[in-house]
Amino acid sequence: MSFREKSAWITFITVLIFTVLWFTHVWRVEFLHARDENPMIWFFGTLAALIALEIALHIAVAVQSPREARTPKDERERMIDMKASRVAFYVLLIGTFASIGTLHIPRANRLVMAQCLMGSILFALLSRFGTQIALHRRDA
Amino acid sequence: MAAKILQNQIRRLRFEHKEMTQQELADKIGVTRQTVNAIELAKYSPSLEVAFQIADVFGVPLDEVFQYGNSTRRRA
Repeated sequence: MSFREKSAWITFITVLIFTVLWFTHVWRVEFLHARDENPMIWFFGTLAALIALEIALHIAVAVQSPREARTPKDERERMIDMKASRVAFYVLLIGTFASIGTLHIPRANRLVMAQCLMGSILFALLSRFGTQIALHRRDA
Repeated sequence: MAAKILQNQIRRLRFEHKEMTQQELADKIGVTRQTVNAIELAKYSPSLEVAFQIADVFGVPLDEVFQYGNSTRRRA
């Protein structure tokens, strides 16, 4: 498995963990009416912890294959990035329009729309790194 | 009708050039080993620049490295 593929796996799993934690938190607060005294601390704390985890995993992978880590992306890898970004763009576009659509749902407020936008961003990121992994696997 | 694909002789040429490894070829043309492997397996069509670089490494004309022909093999 190439360094780029490992990197995509690391980011995909990190974003997936954040997505699961985020939606579990939203579910508890919105539907189970759990107390949420300081959501910003929870949000940025979780985000910082996962960024630290991602950096640590990237360093570990780079130490294993330092030569590959130093090599700049070649034309195939740049093409994979572009294809993955295109897929993510459409996911984000659909998610954004769906979020705007929540304004027409009775009892939905701006918070619901913000959660939907957050979900769209997370799913766009997951589709981007998921597509990268799939394209790397296809060429392997 | 069989689909035409970009076939190549890279594997044969590597072995005719002192059993050059994919990594060695990759280093000479400035791409990753995975990209050389994908080109060799006809899973990725390289840019003209990389195609000419590969031909240059082996010291042969471009059409000796790459051929555009019929194949029963499905292109990924």
